Amino acid sequence: MFDDFKPEDVAWIILFLPLLAAAGIALFTKRDGKFSAQISITAVALTFLVSCGLFLMFKDAKLVPTTPLNWLNIGDLKVEIGLRLDPLSLLMLLVVTGVGTMIHIYSFGYMKEDRCMGRYFGSLSLFMFSMLGIVLSNNLVMTFIFWELVGVSSYLLIGFWYEKPSAADACKKAFITNRLGDFGFILGIILVWATLGSVSFDELQQRLLKAPEAWSGVAAIAGLLIFCGAMGKSAMFPLHVWLPDAMEGPTPVSALIHAATMVAAGVYMLCRVFFLFGAHTVWPEFLSFLNGWSALDIISWIGGFTALIAALMAVQQNDIKRILAYSTLSQLGYMVMAVGLTGPTAAMYHLTTHAFFKALLFLGAGSVIYACHHEQDIWHMGGLKKKMPVTFWTFLLGTLALCGVPPLSGFYSKDAVLATASEHSVFLFIIAALVALLTTFYMSRLVLVTFFGANRSDHADHAHESPKVMAWPLVILTVPTVLAGFWGIDLFLGRQLAPEAVAHHGNFLETMFAPFGHAPLAALVGLGATIFGFSLAYGIYANAEKDPLPEKLGFLSRAMRDRFYFDEIYSGLIAITHEAVSRLANWFDRWIIAGLGVRGLHGSTEIVGRALRLVQTGNLQTYAFLFVAGLVLVLLFALK
Amino acid sequence: MLTSIILLPFLAALVILLMPRDYRVAIRGVALLATLGSLLIATKMFLGYEAAEVGVGGYKFIQRIPWVESLGINYFVGVDGINVGLIFMGAIVAFAAACVSWEIKTNEKLYYLLLMVMTGGILGAFASLDLFFFYAFHEFALIPTFIMIGVWGRGENKNYATYNITIYLSAGALIALVGLIGLYLQVPAAQRTFDIVALTEYFKANPMAANAQHFIFPLLMFGFGILVSLWPFHTWAPLGYGAAPTATAMLHAGVLKKFGLYGLLRIALPLMPEGAKQWLNVLALLCLGNILYCGWVAMRQRDLNQLIGNSSVAHMGFVFLGIASLNLIGVTGAVVVMIAHGLLAALTFALSGYIRTQTNTLNMDEMGGLLRKLPFIGAALVMAMMAGCGLPGFANFVGELSVMFGAWKASFGHAQWFVVAAAWGGLVIGAIYMLRAVRSVLHGELSEKWNDVQDAMLWRKTPFVLLLAALMVFGFWPRLLTDKIKPSAEAIVKMATATKAPEAKVQTAQAK
Repeated sequence: MFDDFKPEDVAWIILFLPLLAAAGIALFTKRDGKFSAQISITAVALTFLVSCGLFLMFKDAKLVPTTPLNWLNIGDLKVEIGLRLDPLSLLMLLVVTGVGTMIHIYSFGYMKEDRCMGRYFGSLSLFMFSMLGIVLSNNLVMTFIFWELVGVSSYLLIGFWYEKPSAADACKKAFITNRLGDFGFILGIILVWATLGSVSFDELQQRLLKAPEAWSGVAAIAGLLIFCGAMGKSAMFPLHVWLPDAMEGPTPVSALIHAATMVAAGVYMLCRVFFLFGAHTVWPEFLSFLNGWSALDIISWIGGFTALIAALMAVQQNDIKRILAYSTLSQLGYMVMAVGLTGPTAAMYHLTTHAFFKALLFLGAGSVIYACHHEQDIWHMGGLKKKMPVTFWTFLLGTLALCGVPPLSGFYSKDAVLATASEHSVFLFIIAALVALLTTFYMSRLVLVTFFGANRSDHADHAHESPKVMAWPLVILTVPTVLAGFWGIDLFLGRQLAPEAVAHHGNFLETMFAPFGHAPLAALVGLGATIFGFSLAYGIYANAEKDPLPEKLGFLSRAMRDRFYFDEIYSGLIAITHEAVSRLANWFDRWIIAGLGVRGLHGSTEIVGRALRLVQTGNLQTYAFLFVAGLVLVLLFALK
Repeated sequence: MLTSIILLPFLAALVILLMPRDYRVAIRGVALLATLGSLLIATKMFLGYEAAEVGVGGYKFIQRIPWVESLGINYFVGVDGINVGLIFMGAIVAFAAACVSWEIKTNEKLYYLLLMVMTGGILGAFASLDLFFFYAFHEFALIPTFIMIGVWGRGENKNYATYNITIYLSAGALIALVGLIGLYLQVPAAQRTFDIVALTEYFKANPMAANAQHFIFPLLMFGFGILVSLWPFHTWAPLGYGAAPTATAMLHAGVLKKFGLYGLLRIALPLMPEGAKQWLNVLALLCLGNILYCGWVAMRQRDLNQLIGNSSVAHMGFVFLGIASLNLIGVTGAVVVMIAHGLLAALTFALSGYIRTQTNTLNMDEMGGLLRKLPFIGAALVMAMMAGCGLPGFANFVGELSVMFGAWKASFGHAQWFVVAAAWGGLVIGAIYMLRAVRSVLHGELSEKWNDVQDAMLWRKTPFVLLLAALMVFGFWPRLLTDKIKPSAEAIVKMATATKAPEAKVQTAQAK
């Protein structure tokens, strides 16, 4: 194996270090929480360093595959596990390991008093392994494998405090909802394999170029099936219900998995297989009512719709983590919409910046929650600005980036999404602008209520700044939050995702004002939405004692707070479908198959036995008579 | 080599027979040693399989001792890629089953005697290449099963369960026997033999008459099917496993049950391609009953053993689907599922058995929060449940994935929709009931009455660690299995899809 060693094979280290850490913790050091934490943190920090090295080595390359490993090989089904380094995966590697390192360090402070710290860091390392597997994967089956592993590590971490019934229910819900998406995903993979004869991204791309006509018949349906997977992981409507509940996990987990990385995996995967969506769309007969729509159209509308409803729900939440969760949903909707509008570059750009500032916001929220002794209701906080200056200033920068205030990173990536929308669909552009407005509104509400005004509870009164191990990650994360707009992430990605677009490097000032240059409408609308949203929120929430909106909006406000009753509708639907069928099956099993079938067989055997016993009279005349009767019958048949 | 794997448990049975009944520790020691010995030799055989020399009919490690020459009955054992994995899995499960038997506290001598006979019978049935021994070894394993459930069984349904499982399995074995005799009689008297290799060669050269195939194939399919809890002949399984002592449930659900599937693969498919063509779509339809219907039934169970039993029946559906797809990928996947499910069923029954010794109940409504008290057993149960709903990293995933890929390309009508239904059953319904079980047994608040519950210590962890490790080794490196299975599966598929159909000849004969 070492004879033909290539430098890119170093990437295997990235993949397996976290697995080693997870296995080591699970098998040997679980009881020693602190030591386990150190193992896990060292592992993730090392992966970050190696990722940086790989990035520098291969940043100009188009595609560098590692030596593959033949994992499964049965007839036509060949799965060669290999790692794939290209601009897309290199960027994602940096994001996942970079943000991951910060969050691991932060967790060391946040989870210090938990007696199961070993289990926590073990699961976290397992998550890193699975996530990096998705990032580096070179084929669909490998993606699916790590997809499932990410699902299970998310399950373990959401249910970390499994003694709390709400957490135990939330992790179950998250896993099953994800499974619904994966059900479509695996069928999509099988369909792709059955049509094009391969699961490897490279080979698929080549075969599509060679014989596109075979693909066009199934392209739309396979595309949508694969999108189902993304719908589960990235919590798109109608599978969005699990993400807000997932906030039952420890806050650093919410930051890493349910904001920055795992939920973005859906968007990443869509960009990875974007080439599959290019073909001309033909729907099979039973879906012919969809004619005129392409798979990408449907994806973009689902994304836009999710962005809008999630932003509306966020407006009336009072739990600090839930507000951020709905905001994550809404931003994921943005990214998916961008992919659907044939703008994967914009989607990945927004994914990257969003990972930085949303992780920052969640960690900031964690810091607030930690300081207020696990109080999460923003109306029980207030006036935290003076008591927690580091948390406040970093949180503020994160908020501004999320709202899209120039020159912070969020402005540029959001502008890229808005510009894509403005080019392709007026309706979606309007929705996107509306979402931008709502985003600023609910984030301003969050900041104004939490950090300004008077202290509304004892917890908030006694709050103090978090320890250094938690404060430093916040400070470090502000760097990319502020500056990522100037790093040319879109140009870097564009080389792979949109090679035909003309890319040019400008100087610092040019980059800063570029959005106003090439899509002035989008930039101005985005900026206007931000300003309008902020003034609205300031008018309502500056120094507010309680939320005035429920009175003003009435039912609408209640519907927003109760997530438009999706959970209730779903549990109703499940009750009349699966639960009913399962009840029926159980009844049938117990009374018909086991009851009538088995006991019936038993009974009838007994009756036959009793009947035959009547024949056994012991009387010679009876036997003689039966004998003769039988003989006559046989003769009758034989002579006929 | 093979013979010593089979012989060790039988020898142990003999030794136990001669021991005084109150030498409890010694009796248990003999049983443990014998199964451990079998396991070690089986491991050596499994690892040395590739390098071993190939004998008659592509089989390896062959041994033949003539027995009744006038009838053509020989003691004839050998392995190919399909049963080498099954025997290895069987040896692992047998050792684990002997390990968990510490829960038996009454009449140990008889118990271990029966356990050893059952183990020897199971391993012998999978190794035999002679129809007579193939069937006889199976009966050797089956009869102790009934006695063990009847004597050491648990729960109020014990008698009904014993009676149910005895009737069903005897009926299944009998129907299969009729089929096998019918098969035997299809060979002209001069060439009649019980030798499976010779039979295969004979029918390859002289295909069986189509109408005979149409008649004999369903006998084997339903006979063997009942032994594997094919829907709707499955109700004995959850009931029987719920009442059976842990080791019996492990050995039967894990290994002995696979005998029917093995029979289908080894005998029915290659010898009767015409029958297969006609009947496999029926099998495909019935297997949806296993996957979907039994999954739904499992969703409603409140008793952990009933849930595991139903899920085990549901998993059998994947094997049937793989067999019905009748192509290389599907059949290979089916064999992988057989092996993976054997390990998994043994693991889950061992875990539920452990929990039962601690709590004296398996009613999930009474449990909750046990993970706090049982960190090791709980973690193992979570892993087992995840493996059961097809999580990558465990061997079950590889098998189910290949079955779905294979079935997609199957030739029976609407094969794609069967895959859709199977994926729904495996990914969604499976996840629902498995996670519900975890939620109600392990998660939530711990009730005070479970304060005395103890986790498994030191060597008592052995069987669980062994089974989990095997599942994960094959899950991470599936080619350990598939590379062995593939050539053998290919041979079976090739014979089962042979187009040389004698049907036309028969029809013209009838027309005249």
